[in-house]
Amino acid sequence: MLKKSKASKLVSKLICGVAVTLSFIASAAQEVNVYSYRQPFLVQPLFDQFTEQSGIKVNVVFAKKGMAERLAREGEYSPADILLTTDISRLIELYDRGLLQANHDKVLTDAIPAQYRAQDNSWFALTTRVRNIYSSKRLGVVEINYEDLADVKYQGRICTRSGKHAYTVALVASMIAEHGEADTLIWLEKFKANLARKPQGNDRGQVQAIHQGLCDISLGNSYYFGKMLKNEQQKIWADGVNINFPNQANRGAHVNISGMGLAKYSPNVDNAKKLMIFLVSEYAQQLYAETNMEYPVRVGVVPSKLVASWGEFKADSLPLEIIAKNRTLALKLIDKARFDL
Amino acid sequence: MIEKQKNRRWRGASYFIALTLMIPVLVMLYAGINASNELFIHLWQTVLPDYIANTLILGVFVVLLSVIFGVISAAVIVHTNVVGKNALRWLLMLPLAMPAYLVAYLYTDMFDYAGPVQRALRAWFSWQSPSDYWFFDIRTLGGASVVIALVLFPYVYMLARTAFEQQDQNLLRASRLLGLSAKQSFYKVALPLARPAIAIAASLVLMETLADFATVQYFAVNTLTTAIYDTWLGYNDLASANALASILMLFILFAVVSEQRARAGQTYQSERPNKNHQLIKLTMIQQLFASGFCWLLVIAGFILPFILLLFMAWQYSNIAQLQALLPTGINSIKIAVWAASLTTFFALLLVLFQRLSHDRWRALPMNISGFGYAIPGTVLAMAMLATFAPIDHAINDVAKYFSLPTPGLVLSGSIFAIIFAYVVRFAAIANGTIDSGIKQIPKSIDYAPASLGVGLFTMLRKIHLPLLKSSIFVAWLLVFVEAMKELPAVLLLRPFNFETLSTQVYQLISDEMLEQGALGAILIVLLGLLPIIWLNRAKTGNGEEEV
Amino acid sequence: MKKRNSNQLEIKKLCVSLQGNDILSEVNLSLASGDILGLVGPSGCGKSTLLNTIAGFINQSHGELIVGVLGVGEHDDGELLIITPEHNVAPEHRNIGMIFQDYALFPHLTVEQNIIFGINKLSKRVQQSRLKNLMHLLKLTNLEARFPHQLSGGQQQRVAIARALAPQPKLLLLDEPFSNIDARLRNELMLEMRQLLKNLNISAIFVTHNKDEVFTFADKIAVMHQGHILQSGCPAAVCQQPNNWQVADFLQLGSWLPVKQISSTQFQSALGKINISKEGKRDTALQQLLLKPQYIELSQLSGSAQGKVNVRVDNISVTEQGYHYLLSSLVVDELAFDQLSFYSNELFSLGQTLMLVIKEHKFVMFIPTTIQAAG
Repeated sequence: MLKKSKASKLVSKLICGVAVTLSFIASAAQEVNVYSYRQPFLVQPLFDQFTEQSGIKVNVVFAKKGMAERLAREGEYSPADILLTTDISRLIELYDRGLLQANHDKVLTDAIPAQYRAQDNSWFALTTRVRNIYSSKRLGVVEINYEDLADVKYQGRICTRSGKHAYTVALVASMIAEHGEADTLIWLEKFKANLARKPQGNDRGQVQAIHQGLCDISLGNSYYFGKMLKNEQQKIWADGVNINFPNQANRGAHVNISGMGLAKYSPNVDNAKKLMIFLVSEYAQQLYAETNMEYPVRVGVVPSKLVASWGEFKADSLPLEIIAKNRTLALKLIDKARFDL
Repeated sequence: MIEKQKNRRWRGASYFIALTLMIPVLVMLYAGINASNELFIHLWQTVLPDYIANTLILGVFVVLLSVIFGVISAAVIVHTNVVGKNALRWLLMLPLAMPAYLVAYLYTDMFDYAGPVQRALRAWFSWQSPSDYWFFDIRTLGGASVVIALVLFPYVYMLARTAFEQQDQNLLRASRLLGLSAKQSFYKVALPLARPAIAIAASLVLMETLADFATVQYFAVNTLTTAIYDTWLGYNDLASANALASILMLFILFAVVSEQRARAGQTYQSERPNKNHQLIKLTMIQQLFASGFCWLLVIAGFILPFILLLFMAWQYSNIAQLQALLPTGINSIKIAVWAASLTTFFALLLVLFQRLSHDRWRALPMNISGFGYAIPGTVLAMAMLATFAPIDHAINDVAKYFSLPTPGLVLSGSIFAIIFAYVVRFAAIANGTIDSGIKQIPKSIDYAPASLGVGLFTMLRKIHLPLLKSSIFVAWLLVFVEAMKELPAVLLLRPFNFETLSTQVYQLISDEMLEQGALGAILIVLLGLLPIIWLNRAKTGNGEEEV
Repeated sequence: MKKRNSNQLEIKKLCVSLQGNDILSEVNLSLASGDILGLVGPSGCGKSTLLNTIAGFINQSHGELIVGVLGVGEHDDGELLIITPEHNVAPEHRNIGMIFQDYALFPHLTVEQNIIFGINKLSKRVQQSRLKNLMHLLKLTNLEARFPHQLSGGQQQRVAIARALAPQPKLLLLDEPFSNIDARLRNELMLEMRQLLKNLNISAIFVTHNKDEVFTFADKIAVMHQGHILQSGCPAAVCQQPNNWQVADFLQLGSWLPVKQISSTQFQSALGKINISKEGKRDTALQQLLLKPQYIELSQLSGSAQGKVNVRVDNISVTEQGYHYLLSSLVVDELAFDQLSFYSNELFSLGQTLMLVIKEHKFVMFIPTTIQAAG
């Protein structure tokens, strides 16, 4: 075996390593810690701006899965101050597990309409994103509802990503709120029967498929359209489709949010509150919406030119809590319809 | 062999390590007990049977293909005079450096209906729609199996090649003189003798495949891991997710153990193996097939995806990006070196205990310490949190009680947790590699030094370690390369502002922008290549006779 | 049926070179049907290469191998395999059996599977009857289901023999077959095996570096050195008349005594003058006389007479032929020697000086230049 001294050296080195990490964590001077479900590079410009203005350093950890679990396990010793999510369900999950605390700051409540924050102000939306229906330019201008995805006239002409994806699940949850469980299941089954191919790929991939003539209709979030238009190679795909806001004649288009919450055991509450206020400021809202091609929630802030060019739309006024509440049921229906298989 | 007192201490150390590595697994099993029946019934009535079927088919296909790819290429390299074998010898290991999720992303993109290949075909033949022609659908079980096998077959290749190289060539000669042709001798002698090594490699491939989530997701293939993530993230039922992961793990272990049973007691080594390989002279046509086969594997498993990455990097990257990636790359290397060194050290301890102890259950610590490889990375990370968070809480509670400043999350929120997770996850790789290495050393060597009055540790230092040197190195290398690629554990367990190359690449892939992450991906691959190339240089050639 | 009674194997001007080195040069050898040939020589002399070339694992660069294959299948008449560098024959088609030094038993197969490995194309009935015969012949009964690692060394060797004999080869190659066997068992095994080969009329070539094995086991001997066959023939003849210093030295046929010619019929040595009957070519160079112990005796003249002591006892050991002494000469000139073997029933003490004389016999002498040339 290796010599004892070597082994003990290893151990001491390990302890050293831990100690270094420790001091790194403990040396909290002017900081705020963010657990983010959203890719940091999408929010980094905002944080840089915040640091510049306030002198408070922003630390970020990003993961798409398991952040709530980590926060819960860490409990009262968690270093997290702010949670950023890209989906209402994640936000509600954090809320339901008691991992958030309310922030009644008037600046926040004034800036954000009641529809886009928790009743007890423990979470706030930052932007909204629409679940659009893209249609091929070959079809011309279409008036379309989510319900039409089950229409037999689109048989073999629809592409979509996995039914298990959070965006699809949220849409199904809103359908349940509108039509009830039984009808939603029928809708899902007919929708599945209309698919040109088994659910696969991502939202951009569906647009690419339309461009290539594999299908004519697809589901996709609004901001991907903007991002494709800005990408040299993908622009030709996006040029082949129209972006449609569904259900404009009735309840309005399904909307999801990206949002934030203040962690229950936030160690840097003051800094965290400063960051939250910053994130809903007109400047930040503008920048955030601009970089991500999303719709700002703050009243009076306009989306980017490109986003605005897609036109005004009516959003479904269904409370976001209901979407989150119907989530599990939605997933069950998707399983029942064997949507992905 | 080992004397009583040392045996006791060693046993203590072995069980301590093994049980420590088992803790997250036990935590997962325990958490699974609270699984809800209702959810299981729902899943069983809807999608679970299909998921299970897919899991089985995927496992069987990937293992079969990896074995076919790996064994044939190893046989060609060791037993024939194929042209360019000196290059192919190590080129065939390169696909290991390619993260499977990357290759999956690239290939699904490329062979998709809207991908460049089918676009070009349509343009060329003026086809209009899918009904005009047939093209294989990459997003199927078959497509997933082939692509996953393309990046995992090097495990089989490496271990099978070593086994073939170490075999006593007199056995093959004996077979020839008993009337069997070179080919028949290979099937009836060389292949069965390499079975333990191939089995170890196949079990690594199986575990890696079935615990994988990201890769199969690109292929739109739903397996048991899909169900695990659905139950956890969709139904918010972590307990049931743990139960499913436990079932998956037990299923994999069952497959591995039954294979081991089937070949129990068949260990053998010549005292003076004849290593003069009779190279089979290939005819022109055979040369073409043999080298074509090997090159195809190298190209499909490495060169093509690598070129695609280079191409993307060329289009989308700049020097500033590269500079920004440097500290990230250093983080990656740091944790990969730690993980590789610790894992290899523990594996050596456990494998030698298994070899030298008289205990009836001496193989137990080694076997149980490898369970972690059969658990999906994110589930393991969850278990890691469940393991360390309580300890952290205790530490902080104590500090609070004595009115000391609380140290924060010493274990669960630091790179300690990441490295621990890696050790748990990759122990199976290091154990398997070193174990298959020690099986090549004749048992009689264990007794020899005692008769010379040499102590146990002197014997290990002077005999076993030098003989195991290459296995130890291969084990280290494999864990290093895997650790460079590993994603879920580091993603979930890292401290603030701690990026590795894989988290960096993942960020961009998850936003459907691999192009921007191509540079990082290239760095992962290159850093994984370095030790492979180094390994090849360190390897001395074998004596070979052309016949 | 016409039987070829001549040679089972003929090797003509066989040359082998590996990586540019000549390992075998112009080797000629023939082996009569049913004969056992012992191939001896120091390590590295090329004997293993020769065996491997015959087996077909190495290709010759020049020369010819002719393997006689008797009545197989439809070829009722004897058939000859003529193997040249241009016309190679794969090992599996040479109908040659081989027993390896470590036996090379297939570890993953049972004793039974090992033995029928080479005959599994034959009908089950034939397989079983051969298996039964061989198991009986080699006293392996009841070991069918064992794996090789569960057998003793002697049993493993028997399995190896049975496996090699199962396809009924006419030529058997044995690579140091007895080197792993306990010395006490070895003799017994060799005799058994010899009997077996004779009964089955199988020709055999076996390689060894132990001359005693040759004398027990072989009908013929061939001594190799540096890729050449120095001498071959029946063991007794080679012992009596080694044609070469290397042959005599390797076979340890006696001690070397330096001698110098002083007249046409007389040589001078440290043990006195030697008279040869036949007048040879006069040569003033120092020569080496091969002196076998049986041709040396104690001088009958007692020490007090005019005779002079000429050797001193350096070493004593006890053997079945009496005491064995190693003696050195008292003179220190060019005729001095230091390792003369001598047997006597009388016990002398270490350091004691004796007077030895050489009996008249057919003297065998080599000129040292030969040693130089060969060594």
